Amino acid sequence: MTTTMDAPIEVTRLIAVPERVRRKRTDLYLAGGLTAVVLFVLSWNITGFPSASDDEGTYLAQSWAVQHGVGLAHYTYWYDHPPLAWIQLAGLSWVPALLAPGTLAVAGGRIAMLPVVATSLLLVYAICRRLGLARWTAALALLVYGLSPLSLTMDRQIYLDSFAVAWMLGALALALSPRKHLWHYAAAGAATALAVLSKETMLIAAPAVLVAMWQNASKTSTRPWAFGGYLSGLVLVGVFYPLYALLRGELFPGVGHVSLIGAWQFQLMSRSGSGSVFSAGSGSYQLVHSWLYYDTVILLAGLVATGVALAVRRLRAPAVAAALLTLVALRPGGYMPAMYVVQVLPFFAIAIAGMTEEAVRRLNPRRHWWRWSVLGVVVALALALVLPRWYVGDRRALVTDDNAAYAAAATYLRHDLPDRAGATIVVDDVLWLDCVNAGYQRDRVIWFYKLDLDPAVAARLPAGWRDVDYIVSTPALRQDPGTLPTVSALLRNSTAIASYGPESGRIEIRRVDKEKP
Amino acid sequence: MAAAILILVSLVLAAFAGATLWWTMHAWRTPETLASTRFAAPDGDHRLTFSLLVPARHEQAVLEHTVTRLLESSHEGCEIIVIVGHDDPETAEVAHRVARTEPGRILVVTDTNEQKNKPRALNTALPYCRGDVVGVFDAEDQVHPLLLEHVDHAFRSTGADVVQGGVQLINFQSSWYSLHNCLEYFFWFRSRLHLHASKGFIPLGGNTVFVRTDVLRTANGWDGTCLAEDCDLGVRLSSRGAKVVVAYDSSIVTKEETPHSVLGLLKQRTRWNQGFLQVYRKGEWRRLPGLGQRMLARYTLTGPFLQAFSGIAIPLGVALALWASVPVGVAMITFVPVIPMAANLVFQTVGLRDFGLQYDLRIRWHHYARLIIGAFPYALVLAVAALRAVWREYTGKRNWELTAHTGAHLNPAVEASAA
Repeated sequence: MTTTMDAPIEVTRLIAVPERVRRKRTDLYLAGGLTAVVLFVLSWNITGFPSASDDEGTYLAQSWAVQHGVGLAHYTYWYDHPPLAWIQLAGLSWVPALLAPGTLAVAGGRIAMLPVVATSLLLVYAICRRLGLARWTAALALLVYGLSPLSLTMDRQIYLDSFAVAWMLGALALALSPRKHLWHYAAAGAATALAVLSKETMLIAAPAVLVAMWQNASKTSTRPWAFGGYLSGLVLVGVFYPLYALLRGELFPGVGHVSLIGAWQFQLMSRSGSGSVFSAGSGSYQLVHSWLYYDTVILLAGLVATGVALAVRRLRAPAVAAALLTLVALRPGGYMPAMYVVQVLPFFAIAIAGMTEEAVRRLNPRRHWWRWSVLGVVVALALALVLPRWYVGDRRALVTDDNAAYAAAATYLRHDLPDRAGATIVVDDVLWLDCVNAGYQRDRVIWFYKLDLDPAVAARLPAGWRDVDYIVSTPALRQDPGTLPTVSALLRNSTAIASYGPESGRIEIRRVDKEKP
Repeated sequence: MAAAILILVSLVLAAFAGATLWWTMHAWRTPETLASTRFAAPDGDHRLTFSLLVPARHEQAVLEHTVTRLLESSHEGCEIIVIVGHDDPETAEVAHRVARTEPGRILVVTDTNEQKNKPRALNTALPYCRGDVVGVFDAEDQVHPLLLEHVDHAFRSTGADVVQGGVQLINFQSSWYSLHNCLEYFFWFRSRLHLHASKGFIPLGGNTVFVRTDVLRTANGWDGTCLAEDCDLGVRLSSRGAKVVVAYDSSIVTKEETPHSVLGLLKQRTRWNQGFLQVYRKGEWRRLPGLGQRMLARYTLTGPFLQAFSGIAIPLGVALALWASVPVGVAMITFVPVIPMAANLVFQTVGLRDFGLQYDLRIRWHHYARLIIGAFPYALVLAVAALRAVWREYTGKRNWELTAHTGAHLNPAVEASAA
């Protein structure tokens, strides 16, 4: 009796286990394969496009400072951003050193972003699957996120936001734990904290993780414990940042030192806004239009899909993240960082793919042949609309070389600048690390920004601009003429000795004429 | 050098606190785990017979109530054996009086050992047990009438040699420490013991524990010299491969009271700690087959001491880091063990809420405040108890310090509304 009862159970087990493993393997191969494709497109010409930005140079220089034990920044760390992203970047710095030694530091440093973006791509796929979406939907989300010309441009750059996005997607995936495991929820809290410590604006998306948890743990006996676990992870990891400030005596504002709370006050209250997105000519308006220039599809489709997805239960969590990030961006008068869009892109992609599946499900083409043709026409139209635009945008990313002038200037600084052994040189942050790597004395390579804004730097130059030997003039350095008096004086009282690039983006290495009255 | 020691100690403490937290939260890991900790619904059959042992020493105030309540059991096949000391006429008088009301079902056994303690009392009664299963209750226990039916079913459906039911201190509002004491029981019986049962190493509880009579006799009953006879029995039985099942159901849990003073708590805890130490030194646990089991045994039996040490050392390390001039990186590492410690407090808060829901008790904001504020003083009490236990064990003081009972748990609802 017992044997006949047991036998069928054994048999079903034998079939069931490999079936589950096989399905998981299919997911793994599909997500891995697509990620590899996106990574290939992403890494092709990564040093040439887009043009190296001052922000990238800053983060890379800060990671260099961490790596070489100088501190959390190459100048006084003033709690402008939490430092975790460039600490991670420092941990990844061996990747570019291995793969692209001797290139322009910022351009080569971008290679370190590839594993970060790969993580995000895989997590987008995993999140879709954990939301109960079909395999093709998850694949679509991954491809939309990876191949949109806007992501292709932004994800190549060394931005803190990419680290934050990876952690936040990780938090969302953990909050959707199929086993509803307590420690997965706690890890989701910790991942949320790590995301915020990588880039503080990521906090805006945190409620999405709570929504995901709330839904995932609904009708279970362990929901209060799940939230206890999440809270513990979030607070107990997040608190280490203020703790660091406290231990250094830099938590509260005071005379003669930087402080965390002082930096927060500056970021939230004093920092001048970049204007409303809707008023032409404002900083935010220009920023949004520069994003739309790269890709209107993911932004507009994402926005529409998000709005509808809020009403679909299983898409609500990613939709909440996208909606909150969008609402904060659209608020009037606030400050919007140039790379802000990086954070919203994966959530837009999930919303687009999820709503596509939802629409197909509602259309239910299996019912009538004409429904198939409706679906076919819509898909063809969408492809006809999207593919040509993306082809142009992606092609631009694959062939344009925007960094030739920087690379040539870096080569000159490395090999050809006369008597550079004891020279004091003022550069922008893109070239700072190249100079340091080329053997210039670190405290004589000055980030132009600090000449007028960091008293410690000014104190090293008692004779003002006359203590400087060279200045490298770049578009970033010339960006806000007149706001930095010492920089203006240097530009006035110097002669170009080498010059690269077209008129608009010219990079000049200028010798300072110290004898000039 | 000092920094290296500080880092090492911090990391060890963090690992310890992390492991403890991990195991404490065992039952709530997934909804499936939580569901598996409950008694399965009984089938209504009463196939096994029970001999319920109730050792009573100076318990004349509560004994009658306990025995009357045991008689209300829905299970037909049970006898009650009350064990009283030959030097304790008051309790004996109560016991005999109650026995006269149900002569066939209640037996009074007199323990004539010169040195009195619970294991000796239990051993005195063991030859008189007629049931298939021996169950142990304390004289102040409030036992649910449906418990035996569930235990009967649990024995039959799982093929267990031992079934440990839940025990819960209930008078959380009596004093500042009783809240922590109640929660300790909640986490121990609700969660941690289940982990031990599944790993095959378990220190049993002192009551609501049921053992097959033949298994118990083969194991020679309880160790009369051990201060934690319950823990010792669990260790001996698990070392011999006995199957132990733990089940917790808030509706049929055995309710108890906390010691009525901090001193009482201190004595009780000293006794348990010393008992754990004795069990550790006896080394029966070394016979466990798996390395993981032996590690768990080592860890559990020394646990009270590590816990006491870390309860003091973690705040001390943090204080040191804040006021001594150590590098920032080192100071931050001393805060790492605070993570599991603070997470534990968060889970205790959730646990207190759950405790209130399960037992239909009203948890107010000041109870939560008491939980947070009392955490460190309670850790101090535990630390003192641990030190005292070590001191007593190594100076050879091995007598039984009894905890007195007043019956504060018998009507907690009244007291709660009065508080």
